[in-house]
This record gives sequence, structure tokens and C-alpha cells, in this order.
Amino acid sequence: MSENTTTRRSRTHVSCTVNGDQVDFLADDGTSLLDALRDELDLTGAKEGCGTGDCGACTVLVDGRINCSCLMFAPEAEGCDIVTVEGIAEGDHLHPLQQTFLEGAALQCGVCTPGFLVSAKALLDENPDPTETEIRYALAGNLCRCTGYDKIVRSVQEAAVQLRGAAR
Amino acid sequence: MPRAHLMTPLRRFADGESVIEVEGATVGEMIVELDRLFPGLGEMLTMGSSAAVDGLIHAEPEFLAVEPDADVYFVAPLTGG
Amino acid sequence: MTITEDRPAYKWVGTRPIRHDGYDKVVGKARFAADRNFPGQLHGAFLRSPHGHARILAIDTAAAEVMPGVKAVVTGADFPDLPVGNPERDTGINLMARDAALYVGHVVAAVAASTRAEAEAAAAAIEVRYELLPVVLSIDESMADGAPLANPDNRTAFSGSDDPSNLATVTPLERGDVDAAFEAADVVVEREFDTAWVHQGYIEPHACVVDVGPDGRADVWASSQGHFRVRSQTAAVLDWDTARIKVTPAEIGGGFGGKTTIYLEPVAALLSEKSGRPVKIVMTRDEVLRATGPAPASKSRIRIAATNDGELTAIDGWIGYAVGCTNDMAGFVGAMSVASYKFPNLKMEFVGALTNTPRSAAYRAPSAPQAAFAIESVIDEIAQALDMDPIELRLKNAVVEGDLTSMGGPHPRVGFVECLEAIRDSEHYRSSVPEGAARGIGTGFWFNIGEQSSATVNLNEDGTATVITGSPDIGGSRASMALMAAEELGIDVHRITPVVADTESVGFTDVTEGSRATFATGMAVVNACRELVEELKARAATILGVGADAVEWVDGAAVAADKDPLPLAGITAKAKGTGGPLTVTASLNAGGAGPSFAVHCCDVVVDDETGRVEVLRYTTAQDAGTAIHPSYVEGQMQGGTAQGIGWALNEEYVYDDDGTMLNASFLDYRVPVASDLPMIETIIVEVPNPAHPYGVRGVGETGIVPPMATIANAVSRATGVRLSSLPMSPPKVLAALDER
Repeated sequence: MSENTTTRRSRTHVSCTVNGDQVDFLADDGTSLLDALRDELDLTGAKEGCGTGDCGACTVLVDGRINCSCLMFAPEAEGCDIVTVEGIAEGDHLHPLQQTFLEGAALQCGVCTPGFLVSAKALLDENPDPTETEIRYALAGNLCRCTGYDKIVRSVQEAAVQLRGAAR
Repeated sequence: MPRAHLMTPLRRFADGESVIEVEGATVGEMIVELDRLFPGLGEMLTMGSSAAVDGLIHAEPEFLAVEPDADVYFVAPLTGG
Repeated sequence: MTITEDRPAYKWVGTRPIRHDGYDKVVGKARFAADRNFPGQLHGAFLRSPHGHARILAIDTAAAEVMPGVKAVVTGADFPDLPVGNPERDTGINLMARDAALYVGHVVAAVAASTRAEAEAAAAAIEVRYELLPVVLSIDESMADGAPLANPDNRTAFSGSDDPSNLATVTPLERGDVDAAFEAADVVVEREFDTAWVHQGYIEPHACVVDVGPDGRADVWASSQGHFRVRSQTAAVLDWDTARIKVTPAEIGGGFGGKTTIYLEPVAALLSEKSGRPVKIVMTRDEVLRATGPAPASKSRIRIAATNDGELTAIDGWIGYAVGCTNDMAGFVGAMSVASYKFPNLKMEFVGALTNTPRSAAYRAPSAPQAAFAIESVIDEIAQALDMDPIELRLKNAVVEGDLTSMGGPHPRVGFVECLEAIRDSEHYRSSVPEGAARGIGTGFWFNIGEQSSATVNLNEDGTATVITGSPDIGGSRASMALMAAEELGIDVHRITPVVADTESVGFTDVTEGSRATFATGMAVVNACRELVEELKARAATILGVGADAVEWVDGAAVAADKDPLPLAGITAKAKGTGGPLTVTASLNAGGAGPSFAVHCCDVVVDDETGRVEVLRYTTAQDAGTAIHPSYVEGQMQGGTAQGIGWALNEEYVYDDDGTMLNASFLDYRVPVASDLPMIETIIVEVPNPAHPYGVRGVGETGIVPPMATIANAVSRATGVRLSSLPMSPPKVLAALDER
């Protein structure tokens, strides 16, 4: 086999905020933000379901907006504020979406759940009282193959009610 | 005597018979007897087949006890998704 | 909503606690197959065939072996040649081609390197010389006179013949006198149908990490529907002793039948053995679509005879399944699936035909959806011809206990009639059809299976419990196991920790398929708990100083006359002094799986300018036997329905003439998204299965069977056109409307 295993790859130093913490890591220029989160920071909540931005399992917030982290190069995260599913709860306190997903059985296998939670949080941050149609379109970039979406949509509706109650 | 019911694809190994009465205290003993009557049929019945006895389907039923008046239906190997 | 026959009052069974593994899954902590890295691990990548069928003349790996980061290369020459007749021979050939590549995407070599990019670059540098062979892509091509062989290895199963053939199985079924019945019929409807290849579409791609140590033992981390099958198949394909392999189950990101077989583990094991390092392989979505799954395409002709008062007197027909590049039981299993109506006269043939496409895999109620689409469509057309309510027609002919299945055996107690009545009486069916829409009805059946399971129940010092099984938790089964244990032991469900253990920490357990986990593994849990309760009663008798016969177990406590009840925790605290740890293991081969029926109802509108079919409202009724955790029963019904709607309206493999899939991404292979679907209303019907201690039937499979015909029947009533080809995508619907 190859003796030439010490080839240097050029790596970029990236400095950003992830779930409120200042972090630094090195990334190849071609590394996706998703791979950096998973392999460099061991934040494996975001998943790769397709690698082409079609399934939403890798969804994270970048400066408050939802992003498919598989489509973003890690060096592009320089200076950004990134939130992953691991950063949604406040300490031991689950976010209302996490709680309503549990109570409403909105997950079966659970592999798409991190992406749905991040997308749903972005929706409710923007629109605290969405219609069912607005929820369905806001989540249309996230694929779930287990649930038929029924219990996911209902759980988002319930979380919206709870968040509006808490805001009052 | 218990009755062995053969699903259609098995009948060509039993001269077209669909129901055959054979001695046997277990499904396996019935298969031995069926193979004696119709050489080659036994192999077809043991290749991963299942049997329905008294309305319950059993996988690998060789050692399943059968009553003297039982109806044993030999059916296809079962899978699922 | 739940419609229940008389049954005992349960304290825990039928409640909806938060699932035990839920917290890890909503905070991102749960570890799925691709979520673990071993120290020092390498990354694997494949070279796959660009040809649909080709003899492999030579493979030159020399250039690849000296590329940066490369530590190991394997080809078919590294694998043992299993004898014809070995049940895993085809599994091994499918995961690494030997003499020939049998489909586009068939693996011909694999590389392990320091990074995935290095492994991919090296795999691309491997040179293969092919001799192109004729490609067989469809059932018609496969069955044509003088057709080239899709796979010269194949022999028709159960035929007694040793001649190479493109036929996997030929399964005739016959009862009664079909010719006489058709002659006497008042109404006869006959149609031909076809359905496309579809994929299970689990969101988690296949992945594993395998570490083979210097002692030759393999540590496997992988997600699957059954880690004992991963172990047995890996051992068989490599011709290794089973004891060399330990498989630890990762959380599984969906399977639906597609993860009942393996694609990666033996390759990773050989790469690890050669390199002396752990090897991780993660498929891309492109690879998942091109080289795993899918479910067979089908073609069928169905003819049904009826009397004027709606008795279905005869069915005759032919259903063919394109099973892919190796032998497969799809046709056999399809024959089992025709069991919903009495049909006194029946003559059918089911055929599986090989094609140069990926080896097909089980997909939720395998083979039944294709058959049900055809049969339920023809039955609906008979209802239209007789001007009869489609539910009344089905009620007149529905099987009940004692009626024959297509294979010959009688049905046990089943709930088909109850499901039909549940939809007939539902608010949805009784409501008027919305303006511009139309309503369809369809039904489905799956026999379900039992098989082997093991469970160990440990009682802890403080009266809590651990329930250990070998069935991966695909959709809430940990919670179901804990609920049944809570009911038996009489303790709170959240004082029970349900665990899915590795292959060295729990007894053998068959793969999760055929909706068997809650049924069979649940039965093992119940048996273990019942044995534990007997032991608890004996220990309590010692503690209370009464005779063993004097103790009853009531609501989590030992009760004896003239004594205070002794709760479970009071017994476990004295375990050491009364005989040692309280633990029981139960294992079984569960017979008596209960068939599950479903009846679906939907309202659709058809846009006659675009051909798009929109589902406005959808209701499903299904016989669960007993719903242990109703939320996850509803989830199975809703998820199966959504997959069926995708199969009906959007999903299909598009191949070019060489067998290259043209739409291998989630952008182009279009599964339903949230905005495509309405809420899916559920009615759980509970007709308990007498063979299970709580009446469980298993609910995973049946939900996918009815949607295609349900929607086609609604489209027919909306447009006056009968759609007989899946998917009913906009171009096909438009073409049908134009022909009208």
C-alpha cells in the first residue's frame, strides 16, 4: 500500500460561535459545515441524509436563518453564529418544540427530528401563529419517511400555542 | 389421520393431489411419510416452508405436534418488510 | 379514535407515555450508524459498475494501491465462493461482484484510505476491463422467448429444475371452477396494470464501522432491522465463525424492510482485516438509490366475476414482479397476499422475473401493494358497474374466521369486517364529498409473522427494572416493551429501562420484519415477566413467612391474607437474602401472528390543466389487535399511508436503455413532503389476536397496501378515467384525461 500517507492538505482556520460557545477548528477547503460540526466538534445531531440539500436532515441555523449545512463550506462559517439541535434546549429545560415532539409522538426513527426541530424553531421565531398550511410549507424542505408528517405538524401547532401563552 | 393440504405449486410434486391423509405425530413425521409416497416432495416441504395448523402459522414446524384429526396447510416461506 | 371489542381493563397497555429513547432523539444525542467514529479509523469507498450487465475480465488495482492515504483494497477475489444453494450466496455476490456485474451500481472493488476523499479518488483509479453482456430491464424482456439470462446463476426456486432461467419463482394458485363461474357471471371486469420500481426511502443511508482485531474478532457498529441477521449474514458471506463477530446496534434511521439485509459490513471487515485499522463506510444517497432496495416493479392482469347482487364469484389473473438481479421470493409472497375476499373460484399465477437492476429488498408488506392496487381497482370498477356502495360490496365478500386464504389455510380471527364498518360509520365517509372532489375506498391485508425473540428482565435493588431485548427500536418499540412489562410487573412504566442490547448481551432475536417486534419480542418480555412474578411470589412467601400458595400478585405487590401487601421494591431489597438476583430470560419461536387488515378512504381533486392529483382528506382504519402504545400504532398507520401516497402519485425509478437510473436523488425521486399531504386521520380497530397475551397483531406493514387503489378509485370517480399505471404522475393523468 501507499507509503505516501503524510501528504499535507491545506486547512483553513475557522472561528465561529456554535450553540453560544466560541469555537475554533481546522477544515479542508472542501469540507462541508455539516462534516465539520460532526467530525471536528462531535456534534452529530445534524445528519447527512442526501448531501444535496434535498432532505433537510442537516438543517442548522446560521445567523438565525435555516441552512442545509451539507451545502455550506465550513470556511464560510467564519464569524457566523450557528445553532444546531444540540443548542435548542436551555440547559436541562427542553424547548417547547422538543417537549411537544415527545408528547405528540412526532418522531419514529428520529433521524430527521433534529432537522425538523431546527426548521420549526426558525418558523416559530419568525411567525408565532402559523396556519397549518404555513407550517407544512415551512417544513417542506425536511423529509420524514416514518410519520406522514401528521404528528409533526400537530406538535408544531401545540408548541406554537404554548409559546404564545408564555409570551403573553 | 391428519390431513396435509398442499398449496397449488406443491401439487405437481404429488401427482396433482391437494389433500393427502398421512400418519404422523409431528409435522416432520408427516413430511417423511409424504416423501415416501411422493419422492422429492419432502425436500420441497422442508425448504424454509411454514405450516398453518389450527389457524396459526408456524415457521420451521418440523417438530410441531399435530392432533390425529388436524389439518396442516403447507404454505410459502414467509418474510416481511 | 379507537374501536375496541370487549377486553380486560389495563393500567399501562393502551396508554401513551413519552418514549424512553425520546429525550436523546430530540436533543441530538442519539447515535445512529454514521454518528460514531473509532480511534484511528479509515474511510471506505466503492468502485461501482457503470454497466447494466458485463463480464469482469480483469481488475487492476496497482495504481490505486499507491495513491495517497490508501491502506487496503478488496475485490471479489478476496471473498470466498459460496456454493450454489447457500442461502447467503446471493447476498455476498450482491455486495461484491465476482465474475460479472449484474446492474449499474454493482460494487466491483472497495478501498480504505485515511480520508473519504482519498478513498474515492483511489477507487476511481482502479481499472476494470469489462465484456458487455445483454441487459434485461423489464418483466417482458425477462420472460421473452430466447431472452438473454440476467444472471446465469439463477434457477427457478421450487421447480426441481437445474436449468438456468430468468424466472425466480412461478406460483400458481387454484380452487373451484373458474371457467364455469365466469360463464355464469352477471358482470365481468378485466384490466391490466403496471407499477414502477420504488424505494423504501429511509432518511438514514446505510453505514457501519468495523474493527477487526489482531485476534481476528470483528467489532461491528451498524444500524439495521436486526443485528443478529447482520452477524449471521456477515459470517456467512465471509465464511467466518459467528463467534468472531459482535454487532452493536446503532439507532436506526428508518428501514421499512430495506435494512433487513446487508450491503457493507463484510466489505468493511475485509478492509479492516487487511489494514489493521477500523473502517467506516457511509453510503451516499446516490448509492442508496442505485444499489439498495428497491421494491419490485410489477405488471398484472386481473379479471373478476360478480353476480348482480354483488357476490364476487371468481378471480383469475396473473401478477409478475421484476425482482432484480438475484433470486427472490417476491412472487411467492405476493401469492400469500391475496386473502381478503372469499372468492369461491380462483385461478392465479404469480411470477418473479430477474432483471439487470439492483437486487430488490423487502418494502413494508412486500409484494402486497402491487397486487392490491390491481385487485382493489377491479373490485371498485365492479361496484361502479353494479352501482353499489364500494364498502357494501366488500362487506358482502370479506373474509372472516375460517374462510380460506389464497394459499389454502383458513384465516384465524381477523378484523376485516370491523375495519370496513369503521370506515362506513366514520364521520369522513358519512360526510358529503366536497364540491369538485371525489371519494375512493381501498383495502389491504398482511399476514404478519412471528419468529424467534429473546428478552431478559432484570429487577434492580430498588424495585426498578431493566428490559433487555434484541429488536432494534425503529418506531417506539422500547416504549411498547416497557408498557407490557409495566402491566405484568405492576410498576410505573418510567421505572423500567428498556434496552436494545448487542449480539453478545441478549439471546438470539430474528430480524424485525413482518411487523413482528411488538408481537413476538413483546411475547418474550411478557413470558419473562410472568416467570419473574412467580419468583417474586415465592420470595415474598419466604419474607412474609407464609406458604408459597398463599401469595397473590396484585398491582405490583405480593398479597397474602392477614399481611400488609409487600410491594415489589420490598422484595427486591431482600433479594440477596432470599436467593440472589431476580432475573429471568425468556426465548421463543412465536407462532400465531395475527393478520392485520386496513380500510382506507380518501377525497381527491384532479387538476385537469396540470394533471396533478391533490389528496384533500384521508382516513385509515386498521386492526391492531391491541394497541400497546396507540400513538405509535397511529404513527405506523400514517407513515405507511404516506409512503403509499408517494407510490401512488410520484415515486418511480427512471432507467435509460442501459439500466442507468436517471433520477438518483431526493430532488428527482420525489417522496411526499409535508405540503403534499393532509392530516391522516386514524381509526384503530382492536380485534385481539387470541395467540398473543395482550392480543397484539402487528401494525407496521398493512398501512402501505391500500393507498394506491384508494387514490386510483377516487381519481376514477373524479374524472371518469381508470388509471392503471403507477405512479399516477401529472403527465400520465393528463394523457389519460386527453384520451377521455
